[in-house]
Amino acid sequence: MRVAGFVEESIVDGPGVRFVVFAQGCPHQCPGCHNPLTWDLEGGKDATIKEIIRMIKKKRKNIRGITLSGGEPFLQAPEMVLLAQKAREIGLDVVTYTGYTYEELQQLDLPGVQELLDASDILVDGPFLIEQRDISLSFRGSINQRVIDLAGTKATGKLVLIA
Amino acid sequence: MFTQIRKRDDRIVPFNETQITDAIFKAAKAVGGEDRQTAMELTLDVLNLLKQNFQGKVFSVEDVQDAVEKVLIEKGHAKTAKAYILYREKRSRVREARSELMDAVAEILRETSRDNANVGNSPSAKVLQISEVASKNYYLKRAIPEDEAKAHTEGDIYIHDLSWYGKTMTCLQIPLDRLLKEGFSNGHGYIRPPKGIKTAAALAAIILQSNQNDMHGGQSFAYFDRDMAPFVEMEYRRKAKELRETLEKMGLPVDEDKMMAIVKDRTEEEVFQAMEGLTYNLNTMHSRAGAQVPFSSINFGTDTTWGGRMVSKALLLAFEKGLGKGECPIFPNLIFKIKQDINFEPEDPNYDLFQLSLRVACKRLQPNYSFQDASFNAPYRDVEVAYMGCRTRVIANINGEAVSNGRGNLSFTSINLPRLGIRANGDLTSFWQYLDEAINLTIKQLVSRYDVQKRFKVRDFPFLMGQKLYMDSEDLNSTDTVEKAICHGTLSMGFIGLAECLVALTGKHHGQSQEAQSLGLAIVSYIRRRCDEATKKYKLNFTLLATPAEGLSGKFTQYDVERFGVIPGITDKDWYTNSFHIPVEYDITAMDKIALEGPYHKYCNAGHISYIELPSAPDHNLEAFESIIRAMSEADMGYSAVNFPVDVCRECGFNGIIETDTCPKCNTTGRISRVRRITGYLSTLEMFNESKLAEEKNRRIHMRLQ
Repeated sequence: MRVAGFVEESIVDGPGVRFVVFAQGCPHQCPGCHNPLTWDLEGGKDATIKEIIRMIKKKRKNIRGITLSGGEPFLQAPEMVLLAQKAREIGLDVVTYTGYTYEELQQLDLPGVQELLDASDILVDGPFLIEQRDISLSFRGSINQRVIDLAGTKATGKLVLIA
Repeated sequence: MFTQIRKRDDRIVPFNETQITDAIFKAAKAVGGEDRQTAMELTLDVLNLLKQNFQGKVFSVEDVQDAVEKVLIEKGHAKTAKAYILYREKRSRVREARSELMDAVAEILRETSRDNANVGNSPSAKVLQISEVASKNYYLKRAIPEDEAKAHTEGDIYIHDLSWYGKTMTCLQIPLDRLLKEGFSNGHGYIRPPKGIKTAAALAAIILQSNQNDMHGGQSFAYFDRDMAPFVEMEYRRKAKELRETLEKMGLPVDEDKMMAIVKDRTEEEVFQAMEGLTYNLNTMHSRAGAQVPFSSINFGTDTTWGGRMVSKALLLAFEKGLGKGECPIFPNLIFKIKQDINFEPEDPNYDLFQLSLRVACKRLQPNYSFQDASFNAPYRDVEVAYMGCRTRVIANINGEAVSNGRGNLSFTSINLPRLGIRANGDLTSFWQYLDEAINLTIKQLVSRYDVQKRFKVRDFPFLMGQKLYMDSEDLNSTDTVEKAICHGTLSMGFIGLAECLVALTGKHHGQSQEAQSLGLAIVSYIRRRCDEATKKYKLNFTLLATPAEGLSGKFTQYDVERFGVIPGITDKDWYTNSFHIPVEYDITAMDKIALEGPYHKYCNAGHISYIELPSAPDHNLEAFESIIRAMSEADMGYSAVNFPVDVCRECGFNGIIETDTCPKCNTTGRISRVRRITGYLSTLEMFNESKLAEEKNRRIHMRLQ
């Protein structure tokens, strides 16, 4: 997988203390993005799933879950799914960020999209829109972005929001 | 013959040869001489010599003294000459000291020293600081044994609060319950026990201030919620009585349940206002030396009675609300006592207070957390261990009851650990030897100071001893010495810069290598062992302190850079790392730092603290905040805090991260106040001294991109 980097203990990328994987490569390129270095598909570095899982396991005791961020995780959805599944196996929950909206993801023609949604607990969706910036929001930057409870959404058939 | 002489300040004044005769005669008398005539004859010889050497030109006082010495020696008055020369040297040293002192005074008058971030800039502050400098000078030169004074001036050890050496002791956990129950006097009349919560809170502030006048260190309450609870109940009963009487007088029916609900609400409001008043008072009463506010601390969180819970809740909410424009209160230091079965798990009666404390801490950097179930605190679970905001801890007692109330630290002295590492030059055997020497000297010095302190009289402390705050001071009379009471206090040996010491010894600090960590633990546990031995030997409470080191953080480094030059990883920055901490600038995650620092807490029985630096207040993620606190508990820490930048706009009260000088909310420029942790307590950045400023700039966030 192509990654920009990792944060072993984050408190700003989802509830609790979390291990964050920052995917390299992003098509959205939102003005005012926090991590523009993650846009270039050729940037960042390579990391094997095995390596990343080992890093996560090392932090197992200290974290509530993992967060898949970036960049755009859904560009590498099949690999992300493997990380998410392994995390759940060892008792960690999964927060996934995306610059697509939930609705766009339903129509998206990329491999592994539905699998990654099934393997995640929370989805933080939508592009960062600088004109809707609000510094008081938790875990996201602009009001249009939503924190979605995926299990609840799947069960009820309607979008269930946490925030 | 001569008419003029030049004084040391270059003034030309009339010359009087009788002064020469007087000086010679005085020296002669000192060695048994009796004959003024001889002195007069010798004076003539001196005058002749002066005429010869200066031939009419004006000479100075020094020139005359040189001539006197020469004449005395050449004329065979060796003993007199010696007495004269020694006296001249002594006068010269006194003059030097006086001029050093004057230089120091001049500098204070130019600007206020930043040694203590709590000190302001007022005329009172300046007068008090000048007296501090004069006191320090005096004690170093006249009161402290020479070897100890030398070790201090050369930077091998640091005798803290030197200006208070012959005057008082450090700090106290004040028995608030007794004072409020019995009333007290602070010099101008008896103050009756309060009958309501607002008065009780006002008196609590007065008590802190009154005792602060008798001591130079922290003033604290160990059981604030428990001790205020009776006054909440009094308030409730009084309000219930008033409301009932009013209803009866108006001939209205009394609905008990409704009435009780109203009374409870009103009581809660009253308690909140009382806590608000207390917070305001403790941030504005300038009564501590150097005209500072009292260094106040409040331990709370474990009383489960409804009155105590109301006090804890109100205190937290008042703190959250802040001062007049929503500013972050600096005092009192709030210490939330985490205790199993009381407030740490969801099913515990005060868990809601713990949750509230997390929310408040996100905004205010306080409360700090003490862990009553840490392995070294748990044995005292029933009486609970109280801390001071700065981290001081007093509990075990070789001379009596093992409680915090009515006791405190007497003095503390820190060892320059990095220097020992540098001197050892890679040789561990030498290091252990130097460490032993430093420990021996420090023990000796602490005992010297205690020998001075134990001779203080009760009447020297009108409030502290006069009102019988100290343990075992109840039966003392005003002319008794305080020894019977202060033998319950602690004598603390401290240290800073373990990290730099480890770099000197192994090339790495304890964040970087397991070997360094093992050695670090060995060093600290050894110093603790020596303290325990000293306790038994002297029957005094010797304890090991992870020194707060505010003024000290840069001093040792300064001395060492002068002596040893710039050594990478050791003296190449403006400060030494605090106590056993991982260097602030080192890239390490929060949890790893906690795991590495935790084991040191148990050795530092005089006080310890660990911090985590977060990039921003975790107010959207209380769960993460709680995980960090739990990790600290699991790492067997005794006292800890979480830091993050708190920038407040003084104009609109907006509280968050303000990276520029302009408020993002109200757009006002230049009104941003930046509150940061200094050594356990808070201050604003403009009050930090240079070393702490340099250290603050380098603080690494413990949650960064790898």
